[in-house]
Amino acid sequence: MRRRNKSCAICESGVRVVDYKDDRLLSRFITERGKMLPSRLSGTCGRHQRQLSTAIKRARELALLPYIKGFGG
Amino acid sequence: MTRQYEAVYIFDSALDEATITEHLDQFHSLLAQPTAAAPACNHWGKRTLAYPIKNHETGYYVIAQFETATEALPEYQRAVKLDESVLRHLIVLNDGPQPVVPEATPTETKEGDS
Repeated sequence: MRRRNKSCAICESGVRVVDYKDDRLLSRFITERGKMLPSRLSGTCGRHQRQLSTAIKRARELALLPYIKGFGG
Repeated sequence: MTRQYEAVYIFDSALDEATITEHLDQFHSLLAQPTAAAPACNHWGKRTLAYPIKNHETGYYVIAQFETATEALPEYQRAVKLDESVLRHLIVLNDGPQPVVPEATPTETKEGDS
């Protein structure tokens, strides 16, 4: 099976470095439970997926993003 | 050796802005460098936390960017950690605005006279 050719949404938006304080951008790359989306599904390139991973972890620590959500806290 | 850092503080939202500024001045006085500029503080203000921290649902966010010697950092970190008005903090290296772009490497070579 051939992988679908997806383009990196972050590259397309012209962002070079993912900012951990930009919770609006980061929330596009997490599931409704709060888990990180794999690049297989989101289509992000390797560089931006690595940046996203660090940024999401930092944002979680700062309570900008939840570690997990949907369990009624 | 001095490096650029970025710190995010989450203060107790019950505090007023003057008290928070006082706390910030106290922290940043530990980083005082004769050559470096004063830390740039960006007050985000009161925000709802994604999950409660120490039974607080809201926090007052402040982002500070500063340049300091690496030797001054442990004492500063200790002061921030011990301050009970700070619910949480994060200190990261601020490695400049953009990383090196690989495509932008200079490829032009001087080939004889033009």
